[in-house]
Amino acid sequence: MVKKRKHSETKAVEPTNKDDDSSVQERPKRTLLGWKDKTEVKETESSPAVFRNKEKVLVTCSRRINYRYRHLMLNVVSLLPHCKKDSKVESKSSKGATLNELVELKSCSSCLFFECRKHKDLYLWMVKSPSGPSVKFIVNAVHTMEELKLTGNHLRGSRPLLSFSSNFDNDAHWKLVKEMITQIFGIPKEHRKSKPYHDHVFNFSIVDGHIWFRNYQITVPHNESDKVARGGLEKMTLIEVGPRFCLNPIKIFGGSFGGPTLYENPLYVSPNQIRALEKRQKAGKYAKKVKAKKRRKMHELSNPLEPNEFADMWKE
Amino acid sequence: MGHPTKESILYDEEGSEDDEMGDMNEELSESESDSDEEGDVKLLEPSKKAIYNRDGLDEKLQDISWPENAGWIHRLSIDITQEQEVDVNDDLKREASFYTQALEGTRQAFEKLQSMGLPFLRPPDYYAEMVKTDSHMEKVKRRLLTEQKEMEEADERRKAREAKKMSKEIQAQKTKERAKQKKDEIESVKKWRKQRQQSGFAGDVNDGELELPFEDSKAFERSSKRRPGVAPGDRSGGKARQFSGKGKKGMDKKRKGAEFKNSKFGFGGRKGMRKQNTADTTDDVRAFHKGGMAGNNKRKR
Repeated sequence: MVKKRKHSETKAVEPTNKDDDSSVQERPKRTLLGWKDKTEVKETESSPAVFRNKEKVLVTCSRRINYRYRHLMLNVVSLLPHCKKDSKVESKSSKGATLNELVELKSCSSCLFFECRKHKDLYLWMVKSPSGPSVKFIVNAVHTMEELKLTGNHLRGSRPLLSFSSNFDNDAHWKLVKEMITQIFGIPKEHRKSKPYHDHVFNFSIVDGHIWFRNYQITVPHNESDKVARGGLEKMTLIEVGPRFCLNPIKIFGGSFGGPTLYENPLYVSPNQIRALEKRQKAGKYAKKVKAKKRRKMHELSNPLEPNEFADMWKE
Repeated sequence: MGHPTKESILYDEEGSEDDEMGDMNEELSESESDSDEEGDVKLLEPSKKAIYNRDGLDEKLQDISWPENAGWIHRLSIDITQEQEVDVNDDLKREASFYTQALEGTRQAFEKLQSMGLPFLRPPDYYAEMVKTDSHMEKVKRRLLTEQKEMEEADERRKAREAKKMSKEIQAQKTKERAKQKKDEIESVKKWRKQRQQSGFAGDVNDGELELPFEDSKAFERSSKRRPGVAPGDRSGGKARQFSGKGKKGMDKKRKGAEFKNSKFGFGGRKGMRKQNTADTTDDVRAFHKGGMAGNNKRKR
């Protein structure tokens, strides 16, 4: 970037000289690699401004969150060096407004909000801040990084590779979710807290309509930092680092923390309903028993036993 | 899997403009109808009222996506096709599919990175803060080790059990054999007796007594095995000599106790033999030059 600016400056100065002695053949500029053609310089000049990723993620959670889910959130914080953690937010109906304000205050461009309800159910809001969209997931199958079964480890803040399963491209809402995940979970290049090497991979895979997240450490035999050893790609192994979770999209909204609903999961049943159903079934069991007893009694009353003809045979 | 074709269920776009944040209670009636589902998180068939605003989604995607010139190095994402559908409830298969997907993705990504020529692998001398702390990794390691140990112990126990079973079998066989041998011997004696009776006590020398092997009085003799390096009269079993050999420095404190005293002084008995040389004591040259050398050392000082 800096180098290029230098070139353009010298170019800008050049024409004034050229007017004076146009007869003198213009000498091409010398670079480290040799004489540089003028046309080439023009080409680089014409390219648009270089893209720079300035993503910042606000990570926060609701009040009365479970310790397990809080640990999950802290793990996410430790994985994303470009995030800002904030204190808990009351999970009320007006939380959208407060969170929007908070995101703006922290000058973040996206937000991950872990909302815990009834100490049981974890919802994850994945939000692009100023103008949406926002996705609401329910989080299942949570395993935190603290679990001793997950034996891998990697640099804190090294940029992850993102591996998506191809069925993310099947549908519009999955495409949107994929783009949001790449922006939120991908660490910006040359972020000041990031480390320059790639030693872990985030795996996102859609199975059964859920997004499954895995984080693996990459171990590959190598001697130099820019080349894998011969046959190293074959010998590459992955060790799971964690955390694990499974996201089930519920709704996609147009705005940030609200707005028109763009997508609704047709297969989703809220955990409240499931619990209610279970309870009702249990209640039904007792009612059925009582009913059966009553019916039996009625039956016995209506059909009394005939007196046995041999009943007093041995009495004499 | 659980996703039927969305094309068949295109919903109207202005279905619900309301700013709803929370529950979806309108589905309650739906779930009541299929109550035999029992704990499964999904409806058996998709609800018809669900909103699906394809244009809106596409528009939003256009809004948020990065410009075209943002290179791959910015997103670092790789798409991997899954070969076959995975059963969600089969944990092993599911995890294996995730693993292969991640592995395949990493391979492709590494090839790309390698072709770019940028350093992307961590050099062995690059130390920096890790995601998991050292103390945590220590715990992980300890757990792995204990797991391994447990496995080994279980293996050992199993082996011991098997060996015990085997030894029992062998023991049973041995007793059987012994019984058989005894029986055979008795049989042979009977036979011999019968034979002698038939021959009319022909070779009778010892008044009809059998010449048994133990009668030549050898079996009752004391075993001539002697411990090496022990004098014939030494009752301590060579202990006294042993102690006196190295009991020069520092050992004096250790040679306490009744046992040692008994070994050295004993309770009477013959002492004379103790002073005799045996083959071993003549060969022993440990203490040969010791006095002279010690004197030398002293002189030097």
